[in-house]
Amino acid sequence: MTLSIEIDGMQAEVEPGTTVLEAVRSLGGYVPTLCFDERQEAFGACRVCMVGIEGARRPVAACTTACRDGMRIDTRDATARRIAAATVELVLSELPQPPPEHTELAAVARALDVDGGELRWPGEQHERAHDERHPYLALQHELCISCGRCVRACDEVQGAFALTATGRGLATNVTAGLDAGFRESTCVSCGACADTCPTDAITEISLLALTESESHAL
Amino acid sequence: MRFDHNVTTTCGYCGVGCRLEAHAADGRVVSIGPALDGPANHGHTCLKGRFAHQFSRKRDRLRTPLIRDDDGSLRAASWEEAIALIVSELSRIRDADGPDAIAGLASSRATNEDCYVMQRLMRAAIGTHNIDNCSRVCHSPTSWALRQSLGLSGATGNFDDIEAADAAIIIGANPTEGHPVVGARIKQAALNGLQLVTIDPRRIELADYGVVHLSPPAGTNAAVMLGLAHVVLRDGLVDRDFVERRTEGWAELEDLLADYSPADVRRITGVATADLERAAHIYAEAPKASIFWGLGVTEHRYGSEVVRLICNLALMCGKLGRPGSALLPLRGQNNVQGSSDMGALPDTFTGYQSVSDDDVARRFEAAWGVSMKREGGLKIPEMFDAAIAGELKAMYIFGEDVAQTDPNTTHVIAALKSLEFLVCQDIFENETTQYADVVLPASSFLEKGGTFTNAERRIQLVEAAIDPPGEARTDFDILTTISSALGHDMGFVTPADVMDEVAELTPDWAGVSHERIGRGGLQWPVAADGTDSPILYEEHFELPGGRARLAALPYKPPGNEASTEFPMILVTGRRLEHYNAGTMTRRTANLDLAPSDWLEIHPEDADRLWIEEGELVSVRSASGRIELEARVTERIEPGHVFTAFHFPEIRTNLLVGSSADVNTSCPEYKVVAVDVRPVTEESSLTPAIASAP
Repeated sequence: MTLSIEIDGMQAEVEPGTTVLEAVRSLGGYVPTLCFDERQEAFGACRVCMVGIEGARRPVAACTTACRDGMRIDTRDATARRIAAATVELVLSELPQPPPEHTELAAVARALDVDGGELRWPGEQHERAHDERHPYLALQHELCISCGRCVRACDEVQGAFALTATGRGLATNVTAGLDAGFRESTCVSCGACADTCPTDAITEISLLALTESESHAL
Repeated sequence: MRFDHNVTTTCGYCGVGCRLEAHAADGRVVSIGPALDGPANHGHTCLKGRFAHQFSRKRDRLRTPLIRDDDGSLRAASWEEAIALIVSELSRIRDADGPDAIAGLASSRATNEDCYVMQRLMRAAIGTHNIDNCSRVCHSPTSWALRQSLGLSGATGNFDDIEAADAAIIIGANPTEGHPVVGARIKQAALNGLQLVTIDPRRIELADYGVVHLSPPAGTNAAVMLGLAHVVLRDGLVDRDFVERRTEGWAELEDLLADYSPADVRRITGVATADLERAAHIYAEAPKASIFWGLGVTEHRYGSEVVRLICNLALMCGKLGRPGSALLPLRGQNNVQGSSDMGALPDTFTGYQSVSDDDVARRFEAAWGVSMKREGGLKIPEMFDAAIAGELKAMYIFGEDVAQTDPNTTHVIAALKSLEFLVCQDIFENETTQYADVVLPASSFLEKGGTFTNAERRIQLVEAAIDPPGEARTDFDILTTISSALGHDMGFVTPADVMDEVAELTPDWAGVSHERIGRGGLQWPVAADGTDSPILYEEHFELPGGRARLAALPYKPPGNEASTEFPMILVTGRRLEHYNAGTMTRRTANLDLAPSDWLEIHPEDADRLWIEEGELVSVRSASGRIELEARVTERIEPGHVFTAFHFPEIRTNLLVGSSADVNTSCPEYKVVAVDVRPVTEESSLTPAIASAP
């Protein structure tokens, strides 16, 4: 038995268990996401994939909401877009510099029209702190937005359990082996963390120079 | 944009067959990531596939042909000069001593198209069946045994069986290091409830995530497999219906199993009765269960027989031909499946079609316009013997460093030295090129197009991310050019043309074409209409009568056993960071992560032999002696030591003798009797007190 749903006025049939995000994407639609990676269990933490549901009191996170029969989904719901944009704006306000152009965060900011321009909520920002002790992997702590994708990639995709979030509030940051660095941790250098990172907080050392030239070209 | 060229290709490290997105800038690969839709890797890859690509532009890459000068050194030469020399020498030797005085080796790292062209070069341009590939020294026992027991030389299912299975046995493999992406998938499955049984003289990482770990001494796998089958029979867990309808040979097997009670198995292997029984029940009682194995099963004197015993267990329990119930050999190199599929073997053309089958041979003769013998050629070890005997005069070795990776290194070097003419086609100078008369600069997987076939029988596209460096050429280009220069024009313009010929001449590949392979790959057999086969043997086995053959094969002791002079057993294998001879990974920052090999030794043995952590030790066998650092670990069983073979400066394979699998000549790399002792620079002349009680 399939479920009949409607997305932005388009009818669709989906299997039970399909999430709203999966349904939207399968129809080629767009919902911005930050903490979502299809290789991991949906986490529902970032509140960027908000969509409107007819009859619901407030927008819901598309990644963790299962489709129901007869559900009518509005990806352009004004409240949902406002929440998502404000969330991303807050995230950006903590970074000392804009995220590199090619990153997912930059793309989401562009899609929500909160890239560049004045920030409404200036405040404390992360301090620059780099760790390049590993031959391939670089940590750029100031770009970390604590989405947890790297930690989940390490746990759920590789199973190395090398990464953890440490600290609280603005100081929350991802560390390898409780800050001993990748090499001294249980890291197996698979790079799944760099692959999933939406901001380049974890990236490949060999790409740092190329990314810099990309920023200069802007 | 950070990148100026992006391709989706297939990884050239290991048989998992990860699909990769490779990104290049200014003619260099700068980053590689996993393809999200990769059927084997599901958007993941390991540190080899992702990071170990800098070797492709390393300064010491071969960039021009080299010719051995009269003074014994290699000098740069033009392609014209090198090819002219190859043609004149091979023609001279063929005329003087006949085509069988020449032999070729294809490479399990090369593409299907390269391997096909190489075997056609040897068979049609030279006129000999003396062609083999390095799967001889790794999974040839698997190939042979699967054909004997079930019919086809390949995994019966695919890696999705990992998640579909309720239970799995891993024997003689260390997936989290040797096949990291499959290792990660198995580990996740185990964390999500897959009941895992591990069998190995090393306590592999996955044993920590399993239910039972059995640690039989190296060389006694057969006893364990027979013991598991005994328990399945004794406790009424045989799938009688499956055995009756789909197999033959049950009565003989049933008789034999009487001799392998848990008590018998414990006498041979030391494996505790309760553990053996538990393992048998986990496998047999699970609704869906699969078996994985690696070279820890095959590289033994009776490795091929153990693979048949593995087939027995699956057949007895009816665990074949459906999702989650599969036999999944973890193939070593990226194209070890394909190099054999392509007929780079002395006794078979493509798709394991026998060279002795007259109908088959006529088909190939008609296609190639030549006539061929109906007797097969020499296997790799026989080639070396023939070279030393003076019967084999020339070899053409493509993408293989036999002087580092083959067993009994001293013998191999003597063979290479006895040749009148040796051509090496490779990407770096290596131990083998030291004996070459001509060295041809070839291309890595990042620099050419074609296909690889992974451990799931999945044929996947390889696409060039960058050009070969300097004057280096693609292997397809080199081999077809040399064939034409020898008077046999193959008529191929691109590797896709090669695949079309393979499809024409190979029933199991009838529907394969580059276009059809697309992003998802095709798992052979592929029917003419393009339908592929993710699962084999759903209805019948590919043997006369459609029945699988059970094999009543008893346990026999290994070819090598511990003795007074050599009291320890050396087992060799892979490390996560490196790949095979290390030619590629040692030229990347993976070397920084793992700068050398080391010897793993159990604390009890270390204590007894006065060996300290980090100390240099000598390892001596009947064939040779090496020195390396010791690391003390409880992960290895007492009485055993373990090391890898990635470093030419350590040269582990000097220790391996000539004992080999009885059916396939695969060397017994996994059981080498050795003497281990500390290397002291000077005598201390100070008495010491032993710490062992």
